[in-house]
Amino acid sequence: MLWQVAYTVLFYLFAVAAISFAIGVTVSRRLLRAAVYLMGLLLTGAAIYIMLGAFFLAGVQVLVYVGGIVVVIIFAVMLTNSAQLGLATSPIYRKLMAFAAAASMAIISCLALWTSKFNLSAAAVPVDNIKAIGLKLLGTGSTGYVLPFEIISILLLAAVIGGIVIARRTTAPGQPFTTGGDEHAKFANSAPKSQLCIEQEEQKV
Amino acid sequence: MEHSGLIMKFAWLIPAIPLMSFILVGLVLRPLSKRIAGLAATAAIFICAALAYLLAWQYFSCAAHEYAAVVPVTFEWLRYQAGLSVQMGVLVDPISVLLMVVVTTVSALVHLYSIGYMHEDEGYGRFFTYLNLFTFSMLGLVAAVNIVQMYVFWELVGVSSFLLIGFYYKKHSAVSASNKAFIVTRFADLGFLTGILILGYYGFKFFADTSAGQTGPFDFAYLNSAAFTTKIASMPSGIFDFSILTLSMVLVFMGAAGKSAMFPLHIWLPDAMEGPTPVSALIHAATMVVAGVYLVARLFPAFAASGSALMMVAYVGAFTSLFAAIIGITQDDIKRVLAFSTLSQIGYMMLALGVATPAHPLGYTASMFHLFTHAFFKALLFLAAGAVIHAVSTNNIWEMGGLRKKMPITHITFLIAALAIAGIYPFAGFFSKDEILASALGNGHTLIFAVTLTVAALTAVYMFRIYFVAFTGEPRTHHALHAHEAPKIMLIPLIVLAILSAIAGFVPMGSFVHIGTAPHGGINHAIAIAASAAAVLGIAAAWFFYAGQTARAASAAKAFGIIYLAAKQKFYIDEIYIFITKSILFRFVASPIAWFDRHIVDGGVNLSGFLTRMTGQRLRYTQTGQVQTYGFWFAGGLLLVMLIIWAAIGVKS
Amino acid sequence: MIEFLSSLTPGPHHWLVLSSILFSIGLYGVLSRSNAVGVLMSVEIMLNSAAMNFVIFNKYISPGAVDGQIMAIFAIAVAAAEAVVGMAIFVAIYRRCWSIDVSTMDLMKD
Repeated sequence: MLWQVAYTVLFYLFAVAAISFAIGVTVSRRLLRAAVYLMGLLLTGAAIYIMLGAFFLAGVQVLVYVGGIVVVIIFAVMLTNSAQLGLATSPIYRKLMAFAAAASMAIISCLALWTSKFNLSAAAVPVDNIKAIGLKLLGTGSTGYVLPFEIISILLLAAVIGGIVIARRTTAPGQPFTTGGDEHAKFANSAPKSQLCIEQEEQKV
Repeated sequence: MEHSGLIMKFAWLIPAIPLMSFILVGLVLRPLSKRIAGLAATAAIFICAALAYLLAWQYFSCAAHEYAAVVPVTFEWLRYQAGLSVQMGVLVDPISVLLMVVVTTVSALVHLYSIGYMHEDEGYGRFFTYLNLFTFSMLGLVAAVNIVQMYVFWELVGVSSFLLIGFYYKKHSAVSASNKAFIVTRFADLGFLTGILILGYYGFKFFADTSAGQTGPFDFAYLNSAAFTTKIASMPSGIFDFSILTLSMVLVFMGAAGKSAMFPLHIWLPDAMEGPTPVSALIHAATMVVAGVYLVARLFPAFAASGSALMMVAYVGAFTSLFAAIIGITQDDIKRVLAFSTLSQIGYMMLALGVATPAHPLGYTASMFHLFTHAFFKALLFLAAGAVIHAVSTNNIWEMGGLRKKMPITHITFLIAALAIAGIYPFAGFFSKDEILASALGNGHTLIFAVTLTVAALTAVYMFRIYFVAFTGEPRTHHALHAHEAPKIMLIPLIVLAILSAIAGFVPMGSFVHIGTAPHGGINHAIAIAASAAAVLGIAAAWFFYAGQTARAASAAKAFGIIYLAAKQKFYIDEIYIFITKSILFRFVASPIAWFDRHIVDGGVNLSGFLTRMTGQRLRYTQTGQVQTYGFWFAGGLLLVMLIIWAAIGVKS
Repeated sequence: MIEFLSSLTPGPHHWLVLSSILFSIGLYGVLSRSNAVGVLMSVEIMLNSAAMNFVIFNKYISPGAVDGQIMAIFAIAVAAAEAVVGMAIFVAIYRRCWSIDVSTMDLMKD
C-alpha cells in the first residue's frame, strides 16, 4: 500500500519534471540551456525506466544518451557558434502552426490511447534483468535479436566514419579552428539569406 | 428473259469509274499536267456512258415489256442491329437505267465542252476533278437501292454543287451563291432526313409482319410495298390530321422540293448561275435538279397511297412552273432566263407525277419522258448560251444581237433547242409536253391543265424573246459586232445534243418506263393541237414584241406596270427571305444562342483554365523549400491517418 | 477517497499519455525551432518518448520477455548514430554559410 502511494507520487513527480524539461528544451532561446534541459529530461527518462522495471536500460540511457548524445549536441552548439543570447527565433505564424500540429497530435493520441483496452498480463518480471537482455540480444533462433545487433554495430561504424568525413576540414590548413569570433557573429545574426549561400565567399578568419 | 447478263455483273462500274477517275485526276494527274487531267476525266466519263448504253440495251431488250427491278450487287454498309442495316448497292430498274443514260451522256458532252470552254482558266484541273466527283455522286444517287444510300449521295451531290457553283472562289457573289445553294438545300434535307427517320422507325417496327423478301426497312422495294404503306397510312400522326404515311411523304417531298428548287425553296437556283456555264448545263439543268423528281418517282407508290401528299406535289409543281415562267419573261441575263426556264420545266415534271394515280399512271411516264428530253435541250441551251457568252463576253441579252450571222452553228443548235422546249413538232419537247398535258386532263385536273397550257405559251414567249433579241437584228454593241464562232471542240457537244433534241421524242418511252400497265403509244390529237397552238401563239407574241425594234416591248412593259416590275425583281422573294433571316432569325434566335455560346460555354472553359492557373499560383506558396513546412504537412498527414485508423478499428476495442 | 486515489495509480494508460505528451512537445519543437541544433534536440525528445513507449508496453503486456527493452536499446543506438551524423552536417554547413538557421535553407522549393 505504501509502495503504491509512493509509486503514484513518484510517477506524477517524474511526469511533471519530464514535461517541464521538455518544454524548456523546445522554447529556450539559449541553446546551451536547452542542452542542459535535454540532459535533465533524459535523466528523468532514466528514472522512469527504473520505475518501469528496465534497470539495465536506465543505465544505458544515462551512459549513451546523456553521456554521449548530449555531449555531441553541446559540441555542435559550440562549433556552430550558437551559444550566445539573441539568436533569431521563428516568426509567430510558424510557432502557431507548430502549436496547432502538436496540440492536435497530443489530443488525438491521448484520446486514442486513453480509451483503448489493453490485454494486461500478470506474468512476473524476470529477476535477472541483464542476463535476460544479454541472452535475448545475442540469441540466435526465432526470438533472438543477433541480426539486428550486428546491423546496429555496422550502422554505428558507418555513422562514425560518416561523421568524420562530413565534418572534416577541406580548406587550407594552418588556421586555428575557431568558433568564429565577433565578425562572424554579425553574419550569423543577420537576416536570412535566400539561397544556401552559393554566392557567398568563404570568409577567412 | 435473262436479266442477269454479263453487263449486270459490272453494273457497279458505272458509279465506280467516275469515282476512280476523280481520285486519279485529283490526286495524281492534276499536279502533273492539267491538259492530261482534263482528257482523262473526259475519257472516263465516255467509257461510263458506253457502259450505260450497254446496260440499257441489255436491260430493255426484252420481248415482254415487263421490267423487274434487279439488284445485281450490294454490300452491307452500316449495321445498327440484327434487323436494321443499311446496304449500299446498285439498283437496275427502268428509271434508274434511264437516268444513268441521261446523266452519263450529258456529263460526257459537258466534259468535252469544258475542254474548250475552260481552256484558259487556271482552275482547269480542279474543274474536271469536281465534275467527276459530281458525276459519281449523281450516279450513286440514281442507282441507290435504299433511301439511306440515296440520302448519302444526295448530300454528296449537294457538296459537288457547292464546290462547282463557288468555282470562281475569288468572286464574292459566287461564294455567296454557293453558300446560299448549300444552305437552302441543307435546310430542305432536314425535312428529308426527318422523313427517312420516321419511315425507318415504322419500317423497322413492322418489318417482321409486312416484309416480303426485302433486305431491310430502308429498301425502296419495302417502302413502296402495299403492305407497309397501308399499315402506316392508317396510323394518325397527330399533326394536321395527317397519317404517318402522309407526314413522312410530305417531309421527304420537302427534301425533293429543295433540291429541285420548287417554290418557296427555289431561291438558290437563279443565283447558282454564278458558276461556269458547263456547270449550269450539267447540274442545274439536266441532272441535279431532277434528283427531286427522281426521288418522288422512286417513291411513287408510297406517294400514291397517300393521296394528299401527291396532291401537294402536283400543286407545288404547277405553281412553280407558272411563277417561274412569269419571272423568266422579264429577266435580261441570258442564264437567268434559262434558270427560270429550268424551274418551270421541273415544275412540269413534278406536276406530271402529282396528277398520276395508280389507276391512270400516264403522268409517271410523262414525267420521266420530259426529264429525258428536257435534259438534252436544256443542256444544249446552256451550252449554246455559254458559247455566246464566251464570244460576246457579257451575259446581258441587250448587249447581243445579230449573232445569227456571226455564229451560225451555235445559232442553228440554239434554234433547235428553243423549238424543242416550246413544243413544236417534230422536236423532242412536243411529245413529252403532250403526254404531260394529256395526263393532267386525263385525270380530271382541269385547273392544272389550264395552268400547264398557259405555261407552255409563256415558255415559248421567253425562249423566243431571247432568240429574237440575241440572234436576230443588228449587233447592239462592239463585242457583238466582232463575235466569232466557238472552237470546234465546243461545237461537237452542241451538234450532238441538237440531234438528240430532234430525235429523242420518237423514243417509245411508254413501253420502257411505266407503272402498272403500259400506256398505249400515240398522240392525243386534240391536246396536241391545243399545245401547238399555244406554242405558236407564244412565238408570234415574242416576234411581235421583240424582233426588230424594242419600242413595243418597252410600252408593253409599261402597260403591265407594277406587275412587270415585281416580276423583274423575282417578286421580291429574296428580299422577304433576307428580312426573315436578318431581322427575325438572327436577332431573336441566332444572337442569343451565339451569346450563350460565347459567354457561357466558352466562358466555362475559360473559367476552368483561369481557376487552374489561380489555384496553381496560390498553391505555389506551399512549396517553401523549408524543411519545417514539409514537416508540418507530414504531421498533418500522420494525424489524418491516425484518425482514420482510430475511427475504423479503435473505437470498438 | 481511496477509490479516487487508486484511480490515480499509474496504469498503462497514464504512462502512455505521458509519452504522448512528450512526443507532442518534441513535435512542437521540431516545427518551430529556427536553429538546426535546436531541431535536433527536439528530435531527441521524440525518440526518447518512442523508446519509452516500448518499455511501457513491455512492462504491462509482456513482462516475462524483455523484447521491449531490447527495442529501446536499439532505438537509443540509432538516435546516437543519427545525432553524430546530424551534428557533422550542421558543422559543415556552418563552416560554409556561417549560419544554421533552417528557415534560410530553401533549395527544395525549385
